[in-house]
Amino acid sequence: MALLEVRNLVKAFGGLKANDDVSLALEPGELVGLIGPNGAGKTTLFNCIAGSFPPTSGRILFAGEDVTSLGAPEMARRGLARTFQVYVAAGDLNVIENVMVGCFLHTRSQSRARARAEGILADLGLRHLQSSLVSELPVAAQKRVTMATALATEPKLLLLDEVAAGLNPSEIEDIMAGIRHIHAGLGITVMLIEHVMELVMNVSQRVIVLDYGKKIAEGPPHDVARDPQVIKAYLGERYVRERTTDPS
Amino acid sequence: MEALKSALDFSDFPRIDRVTALAAAALLFAFPLFPHSAFAMATMIQFLMFSLYGMGWNTIGGYGGQVDLGKAQYVGIGAYTTMVCLLRWDIPFWVSMPLGACFSVAWSFLIGYPLFKLKGHYFAIATIATSLVLKDLFEVWKFVGAARGLGILPFKYQTPDFLRLIFKEDVYYYYVLLGFFIVGLLYMNCFRKSRLGFQLRSIKDNEEVARSLGINVHWAKIKTYAIATAFVSVVGSFHAVYIKNIEPEDTMSLDISILIALMAMLGGAGSLWGPIIGAGVLIPLKSYLKEWLGAAAGLVGIDLIIYGLIIMIISAFEPRGLWGIVEKIRRRRRV
Amino acid sequence: MDILLGSIASGILLGMVLSLVALGLTIIFGLMDIVNFAHGEFLMIGMYTGLLTAQATGMDPLFTLPVAAAIGFLLGIVCYGGFVKYLLRGPMIAQLLGTFGLMLVLRNIALLFFGSEDRALHHGLLVGKSFDIGMGIIISATKLAVAVLAVLAFGGIWLLMNRTRLGKALTATALNRQGARYMGIPTERMNALAWGIGGATVTVAGALIVNFWSVNPYVGLVFTMIAFTVVALGGFGSVPGAFFAGLVVGFIMEIPGFWDFFAITFDIGWMADVPMTSFKYTWIYVAYFVIMLISPRGLFGWKH
Repeated sequence: MALLEVRNLVKAFGGLKANDDVSLALEPGELVGLIGPNGAGKTTLFNCIAGSFPPTSGRILFAGEDVTSLGAPEMARRGLARTFQVYVAAGDLNVIENVMVGCFLHTRSQSRARARAEGILADLGLRHLQSSLVSELPVAAQKRVTMATALATEPKLLLLDEVAAGLNPSEIEDIMAGIRHIHAGLGITVMLIEHVMELVMNVSQRVIVLDYGKKIAEGPPHDVARDPQVIKAYLGERYVRERTTDPS
Repeated sequence: MEALKSALDFSDFPRIDRVTALAAAALLFAFPLFPHSAFAMATMIQFLMFSLYGMGWNTIGGYGGQVDLGKAQYVGIGAYTTMVCLLRWDIPFWVSMPLGACFSVAWSFLIGYPLFKLKGHYFAIATIATSLVLKDLFEVWKFVGAARGLGILPFKYQTPDFLRLIFKEDVYYYYVLLGFFIVGLLYMNCFRKSRLGFQLRSIKDNEEVARSLGINVHWAKIKTYAIATAFVSVVGSFHAVYIKNIEPEDTMSLDISILIALMAMLGGAGSLWGPIIGAGVLIPLKSYLKEWLGAAAGLVGIDLIIYGLIIMIISAFEPRGLWGIVEKIRRRRRV
Repeated sequence: MDILLGSIASGILLGMVLSLVALGLTIIFGLMDIVNFAHGEFLMIGMYTGLLTAQATGMDPLFTLPVAAAIGFLLGIVCYGGFVKYLLRGPMIAQLLGTFGLMLVLRNIALLFFGSEDRALHHGLLVGKSFDIGMGIIISATKLAVAVLAVLAFGGIWLLMNRTRLGKALTATALNRQGARYMGIPTERMNALAWGIGGATVTVAGALIVNFWSVNPYVGLVFTMIAFTVVALGGFGSVPGAFFAGLVVGFIMEIPGFWDFFAITFDIGWMADVPMTSFKYTWIYVAYFVIMLISPRGLFGWKH
């Protein structure tokens, strides 16, 4: 049974269809990338799935149950976690406290929450930063903290929203390792939105492409990269003709 | 059990904090043994009361970040419940105080549900509105003495009366209140590390993120509001038997609500010591200003002017309060 | 019947003045998202200005408006530049408590200078005169004049905001601060100006109100709450909203009058026993609460 199923999802804001008849399915244990040019509707899709707002029409099923109209807290309780692209922190909580908030979803005990948070931080190589304020950390560490916090809720499915944005190549390597660890090591199903192609194309087993709200391609990274529709969406017509005449 | 351990655990504070706190506690216990004026004793009692008010407010206003300017209504409910219970049915304090807290909490749930649909300034003004409505009602309600209020005649009772909490000498009140103070402080220590405490702080940080972590924001706020209410109501009940004379204008006015919020804000909203520091600075200041300046002929209101100026200066230049300054210095030292 | 019509007329006239009171608040809020607790104190200062100028110069109170406007404008700018400017950098709680501190200071300075007794105007062109517009409705002449002037002032501000370059610059800053900056609009000066205009508007309203409402240093708070309710109903930031909402709130304040009307007309005993006049302001607070729950944006608001 698919862990996540999206059926004919439409999300319209006024007259604009941010998501237009999108359908997809995620099997447990997959690592799927979601790409597309800016404004394609990727984050909107995440928001619908995660319960930030309800879709205009269509259905969302999680672990076989219809969760279309459920809100974010409910989704979190059922095992869906997500990170946010832009994290505006009021700066009151330090790293370990942030992660503990997530831990408190499944336990009432302070000591257990703390212990679990320490474990997660150790797992992601953040132990040494546990008492720092999130707002004082460099971007790469902040991104990992958001991942740690999401992991704290013991999710079955983790949605990562542009965790590599703003990172330099070696930081991207680190985060790739982190994602692989979460996926293979912890056995969590992952879907990630990315613009950084080396990341998404290298870690994903499968890639879904959105453009202007519609799904235009889906498949292994290698195939998707050559798909003329995808090339057209990113680079324009010209490049499509050039690519398809490329002998390699 | 774990809650108790947590309440007694101050280990996340640096040693100097813990030592200072213990020293301060010792001083508080010893205070009545030193020679002191009646005025000083009264000021100390006010200090303890407002620390407790401030601590309560701090839960929703400080850790929760929701500025509540209507706490005075709960002072009123607590005070009047105790007063009426005593005067009409001779019910002891230890029964009427929890009863008052129950009424307060019930009312807080009733208005909390719609209140917390609002945010920011709108929320703050709404809290003022509800508090004033209740005050207006009390001002015409004959059952509670309307605008004239109610009063206890202490000589009617055999003092010291621990059941009804009626004493002729302030020192008894002081120690009872000190007991409440310690309990309140320990509770707050447990609260800030508890699940609800963390949820609130996450909400204050970023509501959308909090929701994505499974937190039911609306409900968390309502629960915390109820806790704040209970604190305030309990002290309100105490106020009734201590001051022995209550009327809507001095227990339920907007000035009281603002004063309560100010304790935590001046001292450092969202920190454990904040309300106590705030009360420790503001209450003596207010009392002594009033003594020296307010009564002086023709200078009515100067104490409030100075008071207002202090509020203005803190708001404009150090909104994180005194504890915020301490933390800033510490952080700079660390780097 | 005449009680009812009298109440209605009263409500309308009062409402127009309340619109003016709230106007300043909504302009300031629309521009910089700060709620001014001291708004009522500005009104109180306006009232004293009107009263004292009239008494000192012997002019009719209605001619003291320019003085009030000047004082209000200055007060607004000084408050902004000397204090509010710094508040804006801080968290919301600081802003709320900060303007509350300002309220305390202004109120007690007034107390110091003027004492706590009520003062009222006793002479003037129209004070105490009223006319009968038929059907037994008696309208106080001052109230009528005041209402007319309030509408004129309101219209003036509306023209300023919508037809002058300055007004458009203000609106632009309110809608998009960054964008306005890129357009070369000096946003800091716009802020100060908003406070100046807001201050002037409300002090003028005060100078008008003192013609039929006695003043003491404590009247500020009630008017602040009334102003908040009007602005909440009309929509924070909306000038036309403030106008219509003012009328509605004027009616709300006449509820005791309507209540009495019903009690007398239909001879309902228990209604007459309820001390409705004590609840004159309570209805305002209830109204605020109800409005915010039903329609947080108010009638015309664009800010949430």
